[in-house]
Amino acid sequence: MGMAVNKVGIISCSGEEIPEGTISRIAALLVLEKLRYDETVTICLPLFLAGSEEERVFARLFPTITVDGCEKRCAEIGTKKYSGKPAATIVVTDILKKYPNLNLKSRDELSAEELELAEKVAEEIAKKVDEVLEQKRGPKRRES
Amino acid sequence: MENRKVAVVACAGMDKALGSVARDSIFKVVEVLRPGKVELVCLPPLLAGVSAYSEMVKNLPVVAVDGCAERCATKLIVKNGGRIRGRVLVPDSAKKHGLTPKSASDIGSDGEKLVGIIAEEVASIVDKLTEG
Repeated sequence: MGMAVNKVGIISCSGEEIPEGTISRIAALLVLEKLRYDETVTICLPLFLAGSEEERVFARLFPTITVDGCEKRCAEIGTKKYSGKPAATIVVTDILKKYPNLNLKSRDELSAEELELAEKVAEEIAKKVDEVLEQKRGPKRRES
Repeated sequence: MENRKVAVVACAGMDKALGSVARDSIFKVVEVLRPGKVELVCLPPLLAGVSAYSEMVKNLPVVAVDGCAERCATKLIVKNGGRIRGRVLVPDSAKKHGLTPKSASDIGSDGEKLVGIIAEEVASIVDKLTEG
């Protein structure tokens, strides 16, 4: 294709049913707006799955990372269906297993503890972004 | 008609502040304004084709809350065989009330006001559908 790969598409679940959906959304936004501002773009999941050709073409041409809130893995399934296998996948409930004492409550406003979890998920996404870009264009040193 | 519920499907868009407003407003309806009257339909499984979610939009009257002119919530309800009985387009209300939310991650005070307005609009549609 001859195209320089310098961006990764982040496709986040944002599900409304459980707090993990909100965690996935906040974590993805932290990566997009702060941690990896220059290296990432958002792919709007509703638009992507509702049939936006622009979003789907981007996801076909550039690597993607899906961020799912739960085991239904809607973002991952949708991405595979419409654009191909994501370069990396993250499921919030998998990360949550490392914190058995953390009890998520809010789908709306996150508590300090929940925000801390969102930050940890964001760091995992940022790490995956670096790995994906290194695979595509060779290693590059950067501060996390 | 007692115990009748209404399904609400909202935009979960990531790249616009109005998507965050749509999402927050339905939490307010479900948790504060009309608890017990509304089934919040999680958008991603509806998009991914999980049957329990498409059944919900087929079997209940549905209110769509769209965050932008793409109207993804509306399209997905129709695609899943749902009957839309009420619609709210967040940009229209934002324009009408002169409110400009800041960003997707921080909707700001205008965004919070708009959440309240949209939530009341949805609650009013829910009342009409459950009482009518």
